Amino acid sequence: MAQIKAIVCGVGITAFNRRTDGSSFRDWALAAFEDALSMSSLERPDIDALIVASESDFFSLQLNPASVLAGDLGLIGASTMRVEGGGASGQLAVQAGVRLIQSGAIRHVAVVGVDPSASQLSAQTVKSLYSFSFDAWVDGMTGVSSTVLYALSFQSFMNRVAVNSHHLGQVTRQNRANAMHNPRAHLGRLHKQPEIDESPMIATPYRRLHCSPLSDGAASVILSAPKHRPGKRKNAPAIVGAGAASDTVHLGARSDAGEFAAKRLAMQRACREAGITAKQINIAEVYDAYAGAQLQAIDALGLSSDICRDLDDGCFSPGGNCPINLSGGLMGQGAPVGATGVAQTATCALLLEGLYEKELQPVSLPRYAVADTHGGICTTAAVTLLAGAAA
Amino acid sequence: MTITHTLNLDYQLQPGWLEPYVQGLLQGNAVARSCSACKKISFPPVRVCACNSTSGEWVGLSGEAHIVSRCDGSDGSYALVQFKGADTRAVVQLKGMVQLKGMVQLKGMAESSQVGYLQAPESGSPALILAPASGESCE
Repeated sequence: MAQIKAIVCGVGITAFNRRTDGSSFRDWALAAFEDALSMSSLERPDIDALIVASESDFFSLQLNPASVLAGDLGLIGASTMRVEGGGASGQLAVQAGVRLIQSGAIRHVAVVGVDPSASQLSAQTVKSLYSFSFDAWVDGMTGVSSTVLYALSFQSFMNRVAVNSHHLGQVTRQNRANAMHNPRAHLGRLHKQPEIDESPMIATPYRRLHCSPLSDGAASVILSAPKHRPGKRKNAPAIVGAGAASDTVHLGARSDAGEFAAKRLAMQRACREAGITAKQINIAEVYDAYAGAQLQAIDALGLSSDICRDLDDGCFSPGGNCPINLSGGLMGQGAPVGATGVAQTATCALLLEGLYEKELQPVSLPRYAVADTHGGICTTAAVTLLAGAAA
Repeated sequence: MTITHTLNLDYQLQPGWLEPYVQGLLQGNAVARSCSACKKISFPPVRVCACNSTSGEWVGLSGEAHIVSRCDGSDGSYALVQFKGADTRAVVQLKGMVQLKGMVQLKGMAESSQVGYLQAPESGSPALILAPASGESCE
């Protein structure tokens, strides 16, 4: 049995979308935190630490956001820090919380991920900022977009694994269809393949509908030390393993530009810590910034020995052996960067406890789940393993 | 209601250890890093070689590169390329290079159409730009 590192005793996820209601990222952070706190049955004075995940001050125009949110969340006095690792910010913040708890110095930690990625700046500006998520002096100055780097990486992946645009369509349709049952999702859609094929080409082979949207939103989890598990949360799921790793920032310096090597290494570290293997995982929330990135993640996480066969057999669909991105993932649920990794962990926790959306919740409780996030072109990877009470 | 605020940022970035590479690019020259220990040549330069050596020297390349794979679309035309003499690959912007229809890679293309040359950027930014040889147009 895997050893428990931290209890996920409360979770909260706001709607992910483009806000037009006048609310700010500070409102979303509070909403997510209060939902998580309520579920945990803890009170504000119980929270010893606040960890905020936020990718960029350019989005929020707020340096040191943890200091501001500590006040807004009513956590003055708690220790605060901000965690940033590009797209992996949220998952790295969850892992920082786990490590704080393992240190023995903290009983309960609130992790809040938030980013206003949609409504505060133009899409073109956000896209320009994202291009500095790689090597700003090299790729950024060359004008390489995120989509271009992911497209070139996926092309290399296609040289090794026999996936093609048909499989990109399968992932796109499945994630957006899953999101139809997630009331918090940004892009729940029932796509038909011609609609995907006719959407504008951004960078071959990626068309617009193969890409995740820019979203606003927040997510929160409350983590507790096992010996401080709240009495009302006896069946709360646990984090049993966490792994993080990095890769060279230059795609061209990698021995295989199509492999997410950092993700593979992070998964190995997480599995070693948890004492489980990839084959034991029943549920996965993976980082699908692009449809092909989901296929590359499945490969790196070791969730399949034959991706094409398993896709065709429905293994990753609701009701399959290992449903992937039941939330809709970044492509369907949305992608407020700092919030995504936290929301993945929160979604896994809800699924393991049987509390997720009725149409998406597996009939039998899953035992183990993986939440997988990365930053850059999988330059920074963070993988977290969770176990339900049934494990 | 919204709070409107405009922020203009005018950066003066110092290239630091990358100065020979940046200076080379601005003049249209490929200046790479050669590892003192294993002699592998990286372009763009890698500060610490895969063999873990931290010492190296700057060497000039011809600027000729062949396209390994390319992508085209509304984000522009870019490619993963191999510069002649380098042991690593680079992601470059393509200018005036042949655009394929319905293909994502250059498999089967004539070797000559896969080759381009580093070009000095028109802006003051150290961009990696690959173009056909002078006077040659592939588009």
